[in-house]
Amino acid sequence: MRYRTLLFIPLLVSLAVAAGAQGSIRPASPARPQATTTITFWHAYSSDSPEVKTINNVLLPRFHRLYPRIRVRAVAVPYDSLHQKLITATAGGTLPDVVRSDIIWVPELAKLGVLVPLDRQMRDFKKLAKLTFPGALSTNKWNGRYYGLPLDTNTRVQMYNQDALAAAGIQQPPKTFAALRTMAARLKAKDIYAFADGGTSGWSVLPWIWSAGGRLTNASLTKATGQLNSAASVRGVQLLVDLHRQGAARFGNVDGGLATSDGLAQGKFATILDGPWMFPIFQGQYPNFRLRTARVPSGPGGSISVVGGEDIVMTTSSKNKGQAASFIRFMLSRFAQLEMAKVGQMTIRTDLKKQMVKIRPYYGIFLEQLATARARTPHPQWPRIDQTLESYVAKAVKGDLTVQEALMQAAREIDQLLVRR
Amino acid sequence: MVGSTYRQGGILTLRYVLLAAGGVVMALPFVYMFSTSLKAHAYVFEIPPRLIPKEPTFANYQSAWSSNSFDRYFLNSVIVASATTVISVVLSSMMAFAFARYEFWGRRLLFGLLLIGLMVPTMMLIIPQFLLARTLGLMDSLSGLVLFYVGGTLALNTFLLRGFFENIPKELDEAMIVDGARAWTRFRRLFLPLSKPALATVAIFSFLASWDEFVWALTVINDPDKRTLPIAIALFQGEHATSWGLVFAASVIAVVPVILVFVTFQRHFVGGLTAGAVKG
Amino acid sequence: MINSSSAASDSTSPPHDAASPAASRARWLFGERRRPLFTPYLFLAPGFFVFALVMLYPIVRALQISFYEWSILPTAESVFVKFANYERALHDAVFWRGLVNTAAYMVATVPTQIVLGLIVAVLLDTRMPARTFFRVLYYLPVITSWVVVSLLFKYLFSSDAGFVNWVLHDGVGVLDHDVAWLQSRWTALAVVSVLGVWKGVGWSMIIFLAALQTVPKDLHEAAAIDGAGAFRRFRHVSLPAIWPTLLFVTVMLVIGGFNVFISIFLITGGGPAEETEVLLTYMYRQAFDFLDFGYGSSIAFLLTGIVFTLSLLQLRFLRRPTEFRA
Repeated sequence: MRYRTLLFIPLLVSLAVAAGAQGSIRPASPARPQATTTITFWHAYSSDSPEVKTINNVLLPRFHRLYPRIRVRAVAVPYDSLHQKLITATAGGTLPDVVRSDIIWVPELAKLGVLVPLDRQMRDFKKLAKLTFPGALSTNKWNGRYYGLPLDTNTRVQMYNQDALAAAGIQQPPKTFAALRTMAARLKAKDIYAFADGGTSGWSVLPWIWSAGGRLTNASLTKATGQLNSAASVRGVQLLVDLHRQGAARFGNVDGGLATSDGLAQGKFATILDGPWMFPIFQGQYPNFRLRTARVPSGPGGSISVVGGEDIVMTTSSKNKGQAASFIRFMLSRFAQLEMAKVGQMTIRTDLKKQMVKIRPYYGIFLEQLATARARTPHPQWPRIDQTLESYVAKAVKGDLTVQEALMQAAREIDQLLVRR
Repeated sequence: MVGSTYRQGGILTLRYVLLAAGGVVMALPFVYMFSTSLKAHAYVFEIPPRLIPKEPTFANYQSAWSSNSFDRYFLNSVIVASATTVISVVLSSMMAFAFARYEFWGRRLLFGLLLIGLMVPTMMLIIPQFLLARTLGLMDSLSGLVLFYVGGTLALNTFLLRGFFENIPKELDEAMIVDGARAWTRFRRLFLPLSKPALATVAIFSFLASWDEFVWALTVINDPDKRTLPIAIALFQGEHATSWGLVFAASVIAVVPVILVFVTFQRHFVGGLTAGAVKG
Repeated sequence: MINSSSAASDSTSPPHDAASPAASRARWLFGERRRPLFTPYLFLAPGFFVFALVMLYPIVRALQISFYEWSILPTAESVFVKFANYERALHDAVFWRGLVNTAAYMVATVPTQIVLGLIVAVLLDTRMPARTFFRVLYYLPVITSWVVVSLLFKYLFSSDAGFVNWVLHDGVGVLDHDVAWLQSRWTALAVVSVLGVWKGVGWSMIIFLAALQTVPKDLHEAAAIDGAGAFRRFRHVSLPAIWPTLLFVTVMLVIGGFNVFISIFLITGGGPAEETEVLLTYMYRQAFDFLDFGYGSSIAFLLTGIVFTLSLLQLRFLRRPTEFRA
């Protein structure tokens, strides 16, 4: 029958192709010297990014020259899916040797027991750790041990549109909470939002809580009540809520609309908080916009921002821990750190601070802000804690709850999460 | 039949007007995607939206295609999707035949199990399936992808085909049985030819499902050489910024084979096929 | 070949058959008796084996997980908690809100997709120029990736810059202010439903198109000669013939409606403040963000239970009405 033949031709073709493909792959990989070990490294740089080019074309060739017996297989995983892939790989025991992990996942993975405590594994850990910024290093700590080393760091600073400010007759970006409050009304009269942020999660609101002198939890990470709902914390969130109520601030998750970067460049938002990656983005997208930066407006607690970035970790399932350690050491070397800085990754090494500004002048403000920046609560339950915070602050912004009520309820729920270690 | 040509002309015009109006709505987002793929440096969408790019460029297509082994991923996807389609159509039409034409012990139970397979959110099966794939040694292999894609498409295909097979008049079976035809012969000579539109439909669905699948492929494939197209597209999305021009260009490239498959199979939807046969 | 369909013929081999015992035994097992013993199983075996291996077995494992406070580490102990995960869901306000949102999505999208899909299929079920062009056009949304169209809709409906507000407010002037579509519960669900319908019409259209092919053309002609108009012919000839397909499409769309995920996940992420959470986004977050696979699985199986019951009810009550039978 015609149809039957029609049906089976593709079957044969695809089987043949599949067989051909299988056949062609195997002989293609050359026989390697027996002594070479391969380690796998997962990262999340997108495939058209300059970072990936530097890793594949500069760093790995150099590493392979230095360590001819180690091959590093660098595998890109889409950032949005990396966490899920790490979790499934954990369940299946198929994690790679080394991972570039978002700093907020490290305590969670450490608690699962899939990360090697590097302060035990690497004899020179102390020496390496001493080279790094304390804020960035602290993101690796869980239960008294260090489960990784910082790899790159960043923070949020104030970015502002000078023309938008000038339109309301303002010369300077807001240096303090009070200045921000005062200029809000004047900007509002010109239909310009004084401040905008993407959401109400910790990444967005913690700088305000900290700068107001508040905290999310106590130092031993056991309680949020008394901290998150303290007068100081409330003051920080109240500033945002007040601005929002008078139509001078907007938050992506409550109000929707323009991405903060678009709004800033188009002069609809006067100030936002964002990270160093925005410079190339603005350059590509709004070449005529002159981006200016300042420190986060300071409150009673100072000008305190939030630490972002990535850590490099080693898995317990790695069969080649010695080689993995060599690779980690290499990634923290001057050479690797400087090369990555050229493509937008800020170094975590204090001794390279000076070179940073030479490579990219705009790194300066971030380094300044990093001096006081803090890490988000290093706790395995952080994703839930963050979700709780985001929800309740959103309710306060929408006016469903007063700030005091919202933070009180959030603190109670976070207390429950903190005890679940 | 005298005045009917005139009337039919009017109906045809009405058809076109309705179809065209709906068609515009259906096509607009796709047109938008296509036009964005022709824009340079579109990190985000421009405002107000412009459907015809000022300076159209194929640069995004070039860099998408030449980015690390995009052609290899494309080939992998072609292999996986065609193998899945063929195997799934064969297996599911056999199952549908059994369900449509036989009373047997366990029929309702087995059909119920198939239904459950359609209803459980597949996201929740990821971990058990992952452990299974590891046990079977099917990680990092295209044939492993095919096996799981076939399993995932069988329930829907069987359910759909059963409905069509049941519609084939029993008299036709009986006529063939009188002529001495066995089950396999009836299946091949009667059911398959009479259900071409339905088989074409399940073929299109199976191809699309395996062509587009992302989560499972991401989970079991670690070897960059074995990746499929959806992963390659997702890799254009960065943590802080996404090159939308590239993503859309890659997506447009990815849609082309599906359109080809659709156009190839949909010609079986030509009317009048069954008129004679069914009444036979 | 041999054999008639009568059951009696099995006992007596026709004379021209070489009456080997093996042949008659084979006929008894696989042959054309009224109740063949093995034939259906032989047809089912290969497919069902694959299905059982890669779907049923993982389903059973996931069901098992739902009774545990499950640890994703193979080495760590998981605690058997009986129905605790299910009880937790029943007392979880967000679960119920997710269920209501999911049901609302289903109610909004299923009938619309059926009606529109059927209309388009009927319009396209004819010999006409550019037929393939139109079929491809209506199928385009189906083959465009969910991720891409979700992001597209998110952009179209975003509040200041969005195309929709731009048209409604600045263009036509129906609205006197921009609407924050995606930031409140019902408008966001409406947007996601519009996306669902838009993306799904082509899917039901293609199935209806295939089904309409099986409607005998001479029946239509006979009805036309009897003076039946287009609508009456559709009602009395086409509709009864495609009834099983209609039922299939309904069941599948209800299942699909309950499984709405990517669009919500990418457009609102369940926010603000978990207002637009649907069951699957909530389940996903419990499992993959919070690593609570036991709870995630229990949500998945509660969903499955609801959908299964609904499907059985549909299959039972929407059977082809007897008076339709041709």
